[in-house]
Amino acid sequence: MALSFMEGNEAIARGAIAAGCNFFAGYPITPATTVFANMLKMLPPKGGVCIQGEDEIASMGYCIGASMAGKKALTATSGPGISLYSEQISFAIGSEIPMVIVDVQRLGPSTGSATRGADSDIQFLQWGSTSGVPVIVLAPSDALDCYVLTVHAFNFSEKYRCPVFIASNKEIGMTKESVDLDTAVLPPIVNRTFYSGDGFLPFEAEPAAAPPFLPIGGNTLVRQTSSTHGPDGFITIDPEVIAANQQRLRDKILMAEESLTLYEETVREDADTLVISYGVTSRAVEDSCQQLAESGTPVSTLSLKTLWPVPQKLILEKTKAYKKIVVIEMNLGQYIEEIRKVVPSSNLVFYGQMNGLLISPDKIMEVITHG
Amino acid sequence: MSKKNYDVTGYIRQRFFPQMWCPGCGHGTVLGSLLRAVKELDLDKNEIVMTSGIGCSSRISGYVDFHSLHTIHGRALAFATGVKLSKPSLTAIVPMGDGDALAIGGNHFIHAARRNIDITAIVMNNRIYGMTGGQFSPLSGPGKRATTAPYSTIDRNFDVVDLSVSAGATFVARSTVYHPQESIDLIKRAIRHKGFSVVEILSQCPTHFGRKNKVGGAVEMLEYYKQRTVKIGSKKLEKDPTLIQRGIFVDNSEVPEYCDAYDLVIEKAMKGKR
Ligand SMILES: Cc1ncc(C[n+]2csc(CCOP(=O)(O)OP(=O)(O)O)c2C)c(N)n1
Repeated sequence: MALSFMEGNEAIARGAIAAGCNFFAGYPITPATTVFANMLKMLPPKGGVCIQGEDEIASMGYCIGASMAGKKALTATSGPGISLYSEQISFAIGSEIPMVIVDVQRLGPSTGSATRGADSDIQFLQWGSTSGVPVIVLAPSDALDCYVLTVHAFNFSEKYRCPVFIASNKEIGMTKESVDLDTAVLPPIVNRTFYSGDGFLPFEAEPAAAPPFLPIGGNTLVRQTSSTHGPDGFITIDPEVIAANQQRLRDKILMAEESLTLYEETVREDADTLVISYGVTSRAVEDSCQQLAESGTPVSTLSLKTLWPVPQKLILEKTKAYKKIVVIEMNLGQYIEEIRKVVPSSNLVFYGQMNGLLISPDKIMEVITHG
Repeated sequence: MSKKNYDVTGYIRQRFFPQMWCPGCGHGTVLGSLLRAVKELDLDKNEIVMTSGIGCSSRISGYVDFHSLHTIHGRALAFATGVKLSKPSLTAIVPMGDGDALAIGGNHFIHAARRNIDITAIVMNNRIYGMTGGQFSPLSGPGKRATTAPYSTIDRNFDVVDLSVSAGATFVARSTVYHPQESIDLIKRAIRHKGFSVVEILSQCPTHFGRKNKVGGAVEMLEYYKQRTVKIGSKKLEKDPTLIQRGIFVDNSEVPEYCDAYDLVIEKAMKGKR
């Protein structure tokens, strides 16, 4: 589509369409509303469903119902909406229902500031559901990322049969920038594996994999339940069956860590410092390290696109060669705790800011130089 | 009726019987009526998707051999809406408890009615929270005893029929578990109706409501439904207007059904390219 002037939210909608999304439901909330608005422009003309629920709880229910009927579903909201989604996120996790959830983050807590960005929900997205099952969270840093990561998000959700989050931010979602989506390298589209054969058991799967899928309403009867269930989809209290299922839900995500890891890096020769960041902050980090390089101080950067499951192997490997690891976040320290689990604390420098403003390259340079 | 007509074993998952409801619970009678209605309509199992929330009543979805979604408390109508919008040809049936439908799920209930989406909601009204141990529901009404109302309730109750009518449901009916033949007929009509249908079936919870309110066991509670309910417009109402009416209160096929209406939206958006 050549060069265009586009906000991240539109790029997400375009990514969803490219991924084959054919169902959207949502409830308006700044700064996520324009994902909905863009889906409205694109989905119904392709015969897709794009509707407004009476609240987030309903909208999320529509998406889950649609996904169970075989659709590729998307919803978009901000922190307050994620709060309302919580119970259904747990349902989608436990009952292995694919869908993509966009969180265009705003500054919290609560209503917070509708028009101020922050990476408020980085821990919330992982832990805002019951039982502590790992989830997949991807963080775009610009409009092009919004496009590409949305396709990855759909692919992951289909492959692993789970909800996948996109942790965007008001600053990316609602800022227009020049972007040429044609330059994007999109992964091949993945669709959930359909069951073939007789004797369908809705949750029978390989140990660290998602079960093959059959839609509600087809020729084979499908059972779905939010209750603890065995491979047959019936309620169970058998400890062995329960344990195996819990383990599988965990393993199918954690053991896929490497295939789920997406990142960008700039490795500068002779650098002894690496800056780790994600989201919109990565752009300021890139600017500041560019400037530092020009003034003779080489500093490398690692921008994480996959936040959950934590790409521990990547972080371990990429930080090995550096004396100092600087972590910059648009909150008061959420992801640093994950990095601390992998990198010795003595090497870590952290700067976090949550005041409604973007972190400036000047501030980042100061932290890198004096931190 | 012949025995054959009442053989509904093909519609149930026999390995889960006997069911989990307490002795004397009315919910099994509702299941019986529902199965017979489906049988009499000669519906194919694959065409039916039963979506339920959480509660004793919601457990129905575990006993029927249809496509079944046993979801979360109060939200069944939302999931059913998503399924229905995706596959409008399916017959969507949602059995609900009174708490599930009108406390936690009240918002979804009125909006589903307002939209007139083709779903049949069967509200199994036992005026109490059965599953969690006898807390009051929005249908208990004032002056009742419940686990959470040891000094008796002060909350007024909804009237399921009035609420459904006001919210715009296009088929609204009421029966009781004392009247299973009538229930079968009403459920059949509700399923056949294209639009949002509500069938309230007064059910009994002798374990909680009955015991706490000293209204006797299942037999006395059924007797109450026999004595205290009448067909719509019955002469008995002149003498006693507090009698509960049974029958069809609304049956309106003029209002566009939501999936049909949405189809027109898509047609417009596609500018006739479909
Ligand atoms: C979000 C949530 N809150 C509370 C519960 C606990 N809970 C389960 S069933 C129920 C009420 C059941 O009453 P009702 O819907 O009237 O159905 P009945 O059991 O009487 O048939 C409650 C409060 C739950 N499962 N989920």
